[in-house]
Amino acid sequence: MRSFQSQPEQGVGEPRVKRPAEERGRIVMREGTPRPLFFKGKRPKRDRHSRHKVAFFHFRNYEPAFKYFTEQVLDADFVPTPTPTRATIKRGEAMSADYVCTPFKHIIGDYAAALDQGADTLVQVTGFCRLNYYGELQEMILRDAGYTDFQMLNFSYVASGKMRDYIAYCKKVVNPNLSVTHGVKNLLGVYRMVEHIDAFRDRYLANAGFAVEPGSFERVRKEFLSAMNSARTNFEIEDGFRRAMDALDSLPVNKPVDPVRVAIVGEYYTAQDPNSNLNLEQKLLDMGVELKNYMSISNFNLHYNAQAMQASIAEYSTYDMGPTSTFNIACAKRAAEQDFDGIVHIKSAGCTPEIDVMPPLQRISRDYHIPVLFLTFDTQTSDAGLDTRLEAFFDMIAMRKVRS
Amino acid sequence: MALELHRRAELAGIRRVGIPRALMYYRYGIAWRTFFQELGCEVVLDAPSDRGTLEVGDHLSVDECCLASKLFLGHVAALVEQDVDAVFVPSLMGYGRFDTFCTKFQALPDLVENAFAVANKRVRVISLRIDELKGETEQDAYLGLAARLGASRKDAKRAYRAASADQRDYDASMAREQERLIKSLAKLPEQERPLTILVAAHPYVSHDPFVGGVVEDALRELGACVLFADETDKPRALKKSYEFSHSIPWMVNRELIGSILMLHNQVDGIVLMSAYPCGPDSMCDDAIERCIKGKPILTLTVDAQAGTAGVETRVESFVDILSYQKKGGYLNA
Repeated sequence: MRSFQSQPEQGVGEPRVKRPAEERGRIVMREGTPRPLFFKGKRPKRDRHSRHKVAFFHFRNYEPAFKYFTEQVLDADFVPTPTPTRATIKRGEAMSADYVCTPFKHIIGDYAAALDQGADTLVQVTGFCRLNYYGELQEMILRDAGYTDFQMLNFSYVASGKMRDYIAYCKKVVNPNLSVTHGVKNLLGVYRMVEHIDAFRDRYLANAGFAVEPGSFERVRKEFLSAMNSARTNFEIEDGFRRAMDALDSLPVNKPVDPVRVAIVGEYYTAQDPNSNLNLEQKLLDMGVELKNYMSISNFNLHYNAQAMQASIAEYSTYDMGPTSTFNIACAKRAAEQDFDGIVHIKSAGCTPEIDVMPPLQRISRDYHIPVLFLTFDTQTSDAGLDTRLEAFFDMIAMRKVRS
Repeated sequence: MALELHRRAELAGIRRVGIPRALMYYRYGIAWRTFFQELGCEVVLDAPSDRGTLEVGDHLSVDECCLASKLFLGHVAALVEQDVDAVFVPSLMGYGRFDTFCTKFQALPDLVENAFAVANKRVRVISLRIDELKGETEQDAYLGLAARLGASRKDAKRAYRAASADQRDYDASMAREQERLIKSLAKLPEQERPLTILVAAHPYVSHDPFVGGVVEDALRELGACVLFADETDKPRALKKSYEFSHSIPWMVNRELIGSILMLHNQVDGIVLMSAYPCGPDSMCDDAIERCIKGKPILTLTVDAQAGTAGVETRVESFVDILSYQKKGGYLNA
């Protein structure tokens, strides 16, 4: 039987019109001498004992963990980044280069919004691929845009990967009086909180599509997140998690024995972040689907066994193909073996490693007879195109299920 | 290592090795050719890129791939038709924390195999992996490949040494030549000096006749003297780039930026060229436009649909602006 595939090249929302001048070329002339990209100027003098106001970017619902990290580990004030609106996203898009990857645009929009809220320290993480360079370029763009009174806690600058250097860097930038013993103890709390947020999400995605009482799952989810948000100690984290899981399990569900099951894989940021993928998870849940989103900090960063994953996909790739490539191919294969009915592959526009993952996924689709829906997300905010494609995909896999 | 003994020399039958004339061929091609020739293999190169290469490659790739990677697949397909035993596609990760390559180069061998499998075509890929951060050094990678091809350790070492020496000599001679050119330009009196334009692009963009060749020709036709940012002293350029940025992770972009800084006073204008949509360039070009002040910069993007159409016009207007500026601005022209 022929397997079904969407056209990989289609984006989800309305097609973005590029200005022809931008595509062909443009000429820039600026007066002056070359300057370094990183900030070498003098920072405004501040009271050494005043606390820093730290802000993160938006990333799924990890904000409680970011908050706990800031308050309990760094011992600084946390400035919650405002929920991204259409204006935030447009602003981020306007500030960034045309074909930089989409998370960059979302994050810089968040940063600008956070600086408007009074934050003075922005945190950027390090990782693979273009993410290594996010912090430095974003700092430069924000300074050019007129934000001068802020600093970056950019972990790309700690090139060694040693814990000692990270601590020294945090001390230098945020809090010279940072207590290491206290910090390490609470870092464990952050670790546990991230695991809990992911565990809760996994249970939520598996069952929320079959709620008897509409909105009941969403209510428990909000309660859980607010409990995490208000946690001050490691005990409160564990306690809040147990309560929320009990509440989630006691909700009445109307789940068939063999529901339609969909797996989500894809690019690290876009596959998880509802603001970037136009709330794709909720849309699928509303259709009555059991969802499994493989991508999470727990799965990819905390409990990741690269060697085992690579070994499990030996027939599809010899070498590690990129940051999340091995993970995504292995998870797609696992989903196919576990009889999921469909796979959704999510990426941001122009994401090189995920584009390279597509041929192996096409092969998995063919070998295991499992439909794969490829979705590309840019900074569009209209979801009409996405709805149509998701409905068509759902109808197709539901029909296949009935027939088989 | 002991466990791998039984699969040693499993590639021993390979005599005709194809090297695609694309991507990192333009950076390491000399080394690769010498390496295989020293091992007694026949090296087959395919013809330089043209419209046909792009069409074949476009057909084999996912639509969103960058132009350069589409061309690469087109070259691999051309080699397969020339009846080679195997195509050499290395997986290049990098030489250090901030000396990496675009993930495309890391994925290439698997990408080629999977793309051909999806299209129901056959290709045999031989590969090696360079990831010095994880301890897979360049030398080990080449020696390992030579062993799998059935060469003795001694022959393998000789081939590797010859290959890296050839590449080093070639790079050094190109850099020397460019330096000589710059010196002779400096000796000319101000009025007679032609416009000097620095082309900063990945070598597989600037030296591919189908992509960057058009720009180079257009510049030369307009009487400009063309310098290349990838034909300089690479280690020096790499070091220089740290004055510009701490955390750019791509080695080639670092070298280009270092070269721009080194040649900034010698040139009249800079042309940044990239193959749409190039990941590293999407960020580095933005940074260069923001920070390299004092010289006009033309940013050109070449994509698969339109190719190089219209590029000449852009280059022409850029050269016009430069020559006006050289004469002292529009008012004095």
